Formats: sequence, C-alpha cells, structure tokens
Amino acid sequence: MNIPILLELFLLSCAAGILLAMAVPERYAPAVLAWTASISSAVILIAGGIGLFTNQSFHAELWRISSLGTLDISMDRLSALFVFMAGLIFLPVSVFSARYMQRYSGRYSLRSFSVFYHLLFAAVVLLLIAADALSFLLAWEVMSILCYLLINYEHEKQDNTSSGLLTLVMGEAGFLAVVFGFLLLAGPTGGLDFATLRLNAGAIGGATRWVIFLLTFFGFGIKAGIIPVNTWLPKAYKAAPGNVAAILSGVTLNLAVYGIIRVNADILPALTAGPGIVALITGSLSALIGILYATTEDDMQMMLAHSSIENAGIIIAGLGAGMVFAAMHHPVLAGIAFIASLYHMINHSMFKTLLFLGSSGIELKTGGRDMNRLGGLIRFMPWTAAFFLIGALSIAALPPFNGFVSEWLTLQTMLQSASLQSIPVKITFALSGAALALTAGLAVTCFVKAFGMSFLGMGRSESSRRAVELPWSMRSAMLFLALLCIVSGILPTYIIPVLDRTVTPIVHESAVDALVPPFFTGGRGKEKLNKAFAADFHKLGAQVGSDVLPGRGLVVLHQGGKRNPVVFAMSTSYTFVVLLLLLGATMIMLKIVVRRQKVRYQPAWDGGVRKLLPGMTYSATGFSNPVRVIFNTVFHPTVTIETGESPVGHFRTAITMERTEVHITERLALKPVVAMLKAISARIAAMHSGSVNTYAMYVIISLVMLLIGERFF
Amino acid sequence: MSGWVLKGLKTGIRTTLYPKVEELAPGVSPGRPAGGRAAGNKKPAAEACPVDAIAVRDKQVSVDYDRCILCGRCLPPAGASGLVKPAADYEWAYKIPRDTVAAGGAGVTKTCSHSLHIKVVDGGACNACLSEVSQLTKPYYDMHRLGFFITPTPRDADLLLVVGPVTEHMKLPLKKAFEAMPEPKAVMAVGTCALSGGIFGPGFAAGGGVKEFLPVDIAVPGCPPPPLAIIHGLLMAVGRKDPVPSPTSPGPGSGMEAAK
Ligand code: SF4
Ligand code: SF4
Repeated sequence: MNIPILLELFLLSCAAGILLAMAVPERYAPAVLAWTASISSAVILIAGGIGLFTNQSFHAELWRISSLGTLDISMDRLSALFVFMAGLIFLPVSVFSARYMQRYSGRYSLRSFSVFYHLLFAAVVLLLIAADALSFLLAWEVMSILCYLLINYEHEKQDNTSSGLLTLVMGEAGFLAVVFGFLLLAGPTGGLDFATLRLNAGAIGGATRWVIFLLTFFGFGIKAGIIPVNTWLPKAYKAAPGNVAAILSGVTLNLAVYGIIRVNADILPALTAGPGIVALITGSLSALIGILYATTEDDMQMMLAHSSIENAGIIIAGLGAGMVFAAMHHPVLAGIAFIASLYHMINHSMFKTLLFLGSSGIELKTGGRDMNRLGGLIRFMPWTAAFFLIGALSIAALPPFNGFVSEWLTLQTMLQSASLQSIPVKITFALSGAALALTAGLAVTCFVKAFGMSFLGMGRSESSRRAVELPWSMRSAMLFLALLCIVSGILPTYIIPVLDRTVTPIVHESAVDALVPPFFTGGRGKEKLNKAFAADFHKLGAQVGSDVLPGRGLVVLHQGGKRNPVVFAMSTSYTFVVLLLLLGATMIMLKIVVRRQKVRYQPAWDGGVRKLLPGMTYSATGFSNPVRVIFNTVFHPTVTIETGESPVGHFRTAITMERTEVHITERLALKPVVAMLKAISARIAAMHSGSVNTYAMYVIISLVMLLIGERFF
Repeated sequence: MSGWVLKGLKTGIRTTLYPKVEELAPGVSPGRPAGGRAAGNKKPAAEACPVDAIAVRDKQVSVDYDRCILCGRCLPPAGASGLVKPAADYEWAYKIPRDTVAAGGAGVTKTCSHSLHIKVVDGGACNACLSEVSQLTKPYYDMHRLGFFITPTPRDADLLLVVGPVTEHMKLPLKKAFEAMPEPKAVMAVGTCALSGGIFGPGFAAGGGVKEFLPVDIAVPGCPPPPLAIIHGLLMAVGRKDPVPSPTSPGPGSGMEAAK
C-alpha cells in the first residue's frame, strides 16, 4: 500500500458515493452515504496513518499551467496528521448520518446532501494535501461553498438562509484576505508551490511579513471563529443539521489551524515575537468570550458552537505561544507549545464531534435542543447519556480524559514564559494563562449545566418524557468517539511522540525527550535522562508496566535545570489506574459498611411542596444566571419588561420580559465597521442625482482626467 | 473608608460567653412569671392571665409555660408585691423524654455533641420566634462557636427546629422535612405556639403545637424565647446541658389541669 494509490482509491470512493447517491432511490441515499463515506474515511485513515507513522512521504505534480506554474499535491507529516484527523471524524459522523438524515426524508433532498457531503470530504482532503497556493486556494474556495450549502441545508427556514449568507460572506472575506496574503508571499518571483514560497520567504521584509501574517491569520481564523471574526459561527452552527455541525467543528475548524500553521509557522515563520503575541492574545480572548457565551446559552447546539470558539481560542493561544518561543529561539519550548496546541486540536475534534452527535441524537428523539425543555433523559437514553458524559468530562478538562491532558500542557507552556527575556511578553503570557485558567473553570460550569440539565432531574417537556434510546448505528458512532476520548486521555505518552514527529520539521528540533522521558527503555535519548533522576522516578513507580507496554513510559515530564529538576510532570495513565482502583475500593467498602446498616430510602427533598412539578425545578437559564450577572458588562443585554394590567388597575395580568443580546464582537467590532461602510456609501451615493445631464458631466470629467493622465504619466 | 475596621478592632469581642460564663448583661431575657408559694389574694392574678396559664392550688401558684405568652399582666405593678414574681433567668428549655423505641434524640446526644446541623421550619409563626432564631447566627450570640449550624436542606440536618403552631398548610412540609432527615435526629419546638398552639391554635387553620405531628425532644417555651433560651435548648439537645424535666409536667398543681 502506498499513499498515491490510497488517495486515488479515496477519490474513487467519493465519486462512487456521489454517483450512487444519484442512482439509488432517494430513501436509501443516507444508508449509501454511510457506506461510501465510511469506506472513504477508512481509506484516508490508512493513507494519513502511513504518512503519520511511517517515514513515507509523497509528492506528485498534477498538471502544469504555463502561466501559473504547477499544481502539486504532497503529503508531509503535517498534512498527514490533519488528513488522519479528517478521516477519524468523518468515519463516525458518516455512520451516524445514516439514520440521522431520515428525519429530513420527504422534506429536503437527501440526494443533494450526499453529493455535497462527499464533495466536502474530497475538498477537505485535497486542501490538506495541496502543495501549492493555487490548488490550496481552489480547494479552500470549494470547501467554503460546500460548507455554505450544507449549513443552509434546511433552506426553507428564513433564519437559515440569512445565517448561510453570513457564513458565505465572511468565508469569502477570509478567502480574499488569504489570497492577498499568498500574493504578497509569492511576490514578483511568481513561484506558487509551497517549497518555492518557503525558499523565497527569507527575503520578505518586516512590514510585509506583518501584513501577510495579519491577512492569513484572520483570514484563516474566520473558519475557526476566533474573535473578532466569529459572528457567523454560532448562527451557522444553529442553522446546520447536527451532523454537519459536527463536521464543521471537528474538521473544517481544523483547516483554519492547518492554514495558520502552514503559512505562519512552516512557510513564513515569524522572526519577532509580535505575531505570536497577537495570536496568543486573540486566542485567549476568544477562549474566554467563547466560554462565557457557551455557559449562558440554552440551545445545546449553539452552546457547543460557542464552545468551539473557546476551544479554537485555546488551540490558537497554544500556537501563538509556540510562535513566540520559536521566534525567541527556544525550539524545544516551541515544540512543546505546538504539540500542546495540536493535541488540543485533535482532542477537540473528538469530544466536540461526540457532543454534537449527542445533541443531534437528543434533538432527533425529543424534537428540541433547548435545555430548558429537556431533562431526565438518562432514564430513557442511558447509552447516549454515558457517551455524552464522557464527552462533557473531556471538554471540561477533567483528568484522566483527553481535554485535561492538552489544556494542562497548554497552561504549563504558558508558565514556561519564565525563560523568555522580555518583560511585556512575560506579562502577556501570564495574563493569557490566567484567561485560559478562567476559561477552564467556566467550561466545567458550562458542561455540568449541559449534562445536568439535559440528562438529569425531571423531564421539563412532554417530548423529553417520551424519548427513546438511539438506534445502535448512531450509538456505535458515539461509542467510537468516546473510546477515542478515553484512549487519547490516558495514553498521552503514545500520542505526544507522533505529534512531535509532525512538529519537528517546523521547529527543527524534537521535543519528545523534553516531554516524554524514556523511563521504560532508557534507550533513545538516554543521555538526556540523568541516571539518578530516573532512579528516583523508578522508585516512585514510573516503571510500572514496562514489562507489558512498549514505548518510552507513561509519564509526561518536562525536565529543567539543576535547581528545578522537574518543571512539570503528570501521568493520566497512572491516574486512570489509581482512579479505577479507588472506585473499586470505594464500592467494596460501601458494600461492607452498608451491610451492617439499615438503609432507608426517602424521596429527594423537594422543599416540602405538595407535588414537585418539572416546571418547579432548576432550569438551564437559572443555572447559568450567576455567570450572566457577574459578566453583565460582556453580555450587555437590553431588557424590556412589559406589565399587563387589568382594566380595573392594580391587578397584573401578565409580565413579559424580553432580553436581547448582541454578541460582544458584533457590538464592538462588526457594528462600527458596518456603520462606517454605510456612511461612506451614503456619501458616495450622493453623486447619484438621477439627472441625465449630471451623469453626462461625470462621463466628460472622467474622460478629460483620463486624457490628462495619459498625457503626463 | 476603612474606618469600620478600626472601629471593629476597638470594639473588641462582644460575643456572649454563655454557656461557659453565665450571661448577666441586662436585656438578655425578657423575664417570665415565676410560680411558688402564694401570698395574698390569688384571684386577680389568675384571672388577669389571658391564656389561662396560671393555676392556684393549695396556696401553690403554678405557671404553665407551654401556654404563657409573657404578656406580663399577672405581674404586680412596680414596687408592689404580688402573686407571681418576675424571674430574669433564661435557661428555660426542658426535655421531653421519648420512649426508648424511637430514641432519636439520644443518638443526637452522642454523635452530634460538638457539631449539630439544624433545619429550621417555620410552621406559621408570627415571625418573632424566627427573628430570635436568626439572632443566633449574629455576632453577639454566634452559635457557630458552639458547633451549631443552620442548613438549608433536611438531608444534612440532625435537628429539626420548629417555630409556630403548625398551620394546615405547613403540616405536609414539616412531615416531609422530618422524614427526609437521616437518623439520628431530634426535634426541638421553639416558642409557645410550637408547644401548645399559643395564641393561634388549636383552631381551624392551625394545630395545637408540634407534638401533635412529630415526637418533640426539646421544648423551649417563651413568646418569643430569648436567643439564650434557644441556645440552652440546643445545648440540652446535644447533652452539653443537663436535661431538665418540664417545670409544669402534668401532675398535681399543673396549669393544664387547672384550666380544665
Ligand atoms: S405573663 Fe404569662 S402567665 Fe402571666 S398573665 Fe401573661 S400569659 Fe399569663
Ligand atoms: S410563640 Fe409567640 S413569638 Fe413565637 S410565633 Fe408564637 S406568637 Fe409569635
């Protein structure tokens, strides 16, 4: 097996998916989609896996256009990682879609969904393996449009159309920014393939570098929803079908990260700390704002959308830290930061897709996503509840799940700013670290609410009391992702080396010895692991499991100098085992204790009311209200209260409260820009008087000016 | 700006030292009529009582504290000596022995002696009793120093503190709260209302006290009882004060019987 053949197979199976979708009867389209897309995913998983785990790389010239150079595709390790992740996410989502898409049967075209879905998959993979600016941009544009088509799938809803258009407009704005960025990057020399660009990058001046960075960073960033270009994201996710939202968050968000790494770390690495700092600040602010809105949002899919902004923020903050370290000549620290960032990206893909599938499943069975109307679903959908819980624990960064590993690494990286020289940079790192820590805290609140309000307590609507468990195909998709969350959580020492291989070409130094010391083997990198130091840790049990497990060890540890031998250390693997043991011991002890005691079961304390009705219980809005009150300045709501009074007076018949919020970036960043553009166009519009004579004068004036210009220049 | 810090430091600790030291500050107790040997004309005093709490038998005056609302009408005018004398003590609580089968109160004595969590239920009180209960958590009485805490949920509570005569509507919540409490648990009735229905009951809307529904372990008479009396009751509930039997337990000379 080699990569080109697999890629051809992948494209073939995508094409087969499209053709079959056209050929089979409409109602079988989702099932066919599940099969063909799963096969495509499996093929691309193998291709990505080969690129990621072996030394095989691949480069091919597609065709030569005389004026633009060649169209190239290649798969280096960075591409391979992203391709692999795309396959890993597309696989469960495709399986899930088979039954999920049935809900649209008869209302929307299932065929066109299949076609768009396969095309998007192909576009994503082509984008990731594009090795020149032209094919990259082409694939990006196709991907953008397909995203729009899929987001706007329920096109009969008015809201969706406007969300879709906003997505398209912002996507195009980002695309244009990226195009300009690439044009500046290519300069007059004209070579458009990445290798040439990389070679010529050294000659680019400081100011141009800044412009390229800003254009590409925010241009790509639009797809990730970082502030201030995030306005489209929650709306689009709200409009999109659940499985599409999963793809948007699990796959296309990563493409933004890919673009930023490819251009700003690989092709044109920053020479000063500036760009990294911008990324760091943007990232941590996005994280904080994202989680604030997520915590207070009651629509589950919107909540997950805001949480995607948060996680994109964490990823970008990690990237920013890496860029600063790289520019300041700390390659190992840069490597660690990039690893943390990429680790968080893959984790986010896994748990966010899982959560989106969970919320789609809930929507399918209860007909709604408003957490105020859900509740008690754990009784009817125990499996879904279990998987959702794993996703929620992961995203809330609780050990030993995967979110913990990457957020912990990111925060530790922030603390490493101690080794930098510049004081302002250190302060920025400290503040960003604080913002990320606050984010992590709020994330717990957010997902306690998400899980508690949907699955626990009493069902707050008729439909949530009649829900049934999802069919096995949908459950198996979630099971797959839940297992991935657990595995990537408890085995970080096996994932970090893989990520390190991806990052090494970018930072030009391997960070694996600095992060995963070889406690098991003591082989490779032995010289970096002090014998006495290792012996100390062996005493602590760092060698437990070395007989049965391959690899370097199970402890993530960053070694420092003499005065501070262990900078940070952690092992979710051992934590996991200890947790299991503790859990078992507790259960046994409970059994023993309870055997001698009389256990009396009483109903839960309801405050002594005659009958506890679902409407009396804590609501999702109530749960997050403290956050809403504390951060009132961020939300800045407009509240109108209307009191209806009966004709006799004194008696209130109804009180209606309306609360409208405009997202902070829309309020502070988008609105002023729109207002300015409107003002300018109003000025320009003044020349349109409507009188023919005036227009004739405009023509003459321009002609005269043109002639004068021609004469003198 | 932070003058209050200085002021606070200057003021020092004002918290009462009760029960280590007897509290003698004026005003900690409203006083209540004391019974005893009768002298002089007994009739007017006994008739003055609006709630028939005074009984005279064999020259012996007894006051039924379960009914007395501390109105003071039976007390002689200042300077004169009368049938009943005022007493300014405050250790008013007494213990009602429970039969050994439902020995909840005894368990509380053993396990919660230095950490007692209290669930307060307002069974339709006039609010004066509640106001006194809320004094307990304030700096002067500060019951936290003794290991007593108020908890919002009966699941964490060891002692159910009930005020008020228990109105029709509070019967169910009271029962539910008691049932929701884990063993061992005790019940403390605070105020005349909670002991006998007081000025409200028994009637169509209110019962005749807590013991009609729940096994009461500690009674704190008074209308309202002063905070120190409630603390006395709490200390008695956990066995840090000797249990006192009811001063007017049914028997010869009891006010209850005289009223009939
Ligand atoms: S103080 Fe008590 S005993 Fe005296 S009159 Fe008033 S209610 Fe009756
Ligand atoms: S005992 Fe007296 S103070 Fe307490 S609730 Fe009854 S009437 Fe009010």
